[in-house]
Amino acid sequence: MALRQSPTPVRPLSVDRSVARLCEAFDRVPVAAVIRRAEDLPRALASQVPAVFFVRAPAFHLGPLVWAVQARGKMAFVHIDLIAGLGKDRAGVSFLAREIGVNGIITSHGSLVAAAKSDRVITVQRLLLHDDLGLPSALAALERARPDIIEVLPGVIFPAVVSELRARVTAPLLVGGFITQAAEMRGALEAGARAVTTSTLSLWP
Amino acid sequence: MAVRTPGLSAEFLPAVRDGAGLQQALDLGYRQVLLERGSLLALVGQLAGAARRGIAVFVNLDGVEGLAPDSAALAFVATDLGFSGVLSVKPHVLRDASRFRMRTIQRIHALDSTGLETGLKSMASPAPLAIAVAPALTLRQVVGAIRQVTSAPIWGTGFVTTPDHVREVLAAGAEVVSSSRPEVWKEFRPS
Repeated sequence: MALRQSPTPVRPLSVDRSVARLCEAFDRVPVAAVIRRAEDLPRALASQVPAVFFVRAPAFHLGPLVWAVQARGKMAFVHIDLIAGLGKDRAGVSFLAREIGVNGIITSHGSLVAAAKSDRVITVQRLLLHDDLGLPSALAALERARPDIIEVLPGVIFPAVVSELRARVTAPLLVGGFITQAAEMRGALEAGARAVTTSTLSLWP
Repeated sequence: MAVRTPGLSAEFLPAVRDGAGLQQALDLGYRQVLLERGSLLALVGQLAGAARRGIAVFVNLDGVEGLAPDSAALAFVATDLGFSGVLSVKPHVLRDASRFRMRTIQRIHALDSTGLETGLKSMASPAPLAIAVAPALTLRQVVGAIRQVTSAPIWGTGFVTTPDHVREVLAAGAEVVSSSRPEVWKEFRPS
């Protein structure tokens, strides 16, 4: 167990200012590194990516990884839906926010976005595009939850939905999911993504 | 334990969400449909009627509102409705469905590499009749990973919105492609 014993981390910037700061960083380097295996983290730390997304990380060994990211001046986000050992509820969000001090959480669930807002962390809601007949209800869920940032997956579908998405929501759009080549990354950025999220190490600048 | 319901007879499968869509597909000559999204009322009405008249009806159980993902629901779909098969991302749903002698199609949500890995690790047992990849246009990127775990036929479904998409998904290795767009149905109508 590596739990922070000090008081709740202080957040000098409001969430809106953090989002603005992240977007400015994405304008320079439009990539977030997705960490699927702990052994990939050193490469992400040494890269210029402004943000690191932890997926499938174990909740109770996450602290040192998150703090290492933040010590490099990068923001650390944790995918709460996939994290082992943590309840997918308000208390789970509070643990990540207050005990670990993550910069933001990633979730597919609007209810967790609402929970995270009271903890003043950046909320990234995933828009999962597996089924076009499900798109209207997925867009309605985004409008209800009003996340700070939207991550659209998979990348190959993003160009087909970007105009409808832009008409409905104003949050910055990240695009991820099977972005393994530079051409796929360029395609997403040209279609209107603020940044791409990728676990492909060769795409981390 | 022979399956008595009709199977697929063509590589294109219209995805409908209600009775109106079903009627449109039947008018184009299709003898097979997929209920990708819809409600229990659509199931018990015209779709059940079509199944009684020998139309092969497949249903995505994850997309039907009003139906629980349990064995009571599967007994109803298999016995009372006479549907040909079910799709689900949930292995336990498919296991129950195979007990009721239904064709089982394992849905794989191909959204990112992490999710794909998880989906492929939790394949249903007994082995499903086919794998349905959603959205279908990712097939080119994921077919290699799928082929490492199963040789089952692949269906492509979700965000297939043009005839070119259908051809692309077939070229990527799918045996069956589904689209919710009537203009695409027209292009691939049975001759």
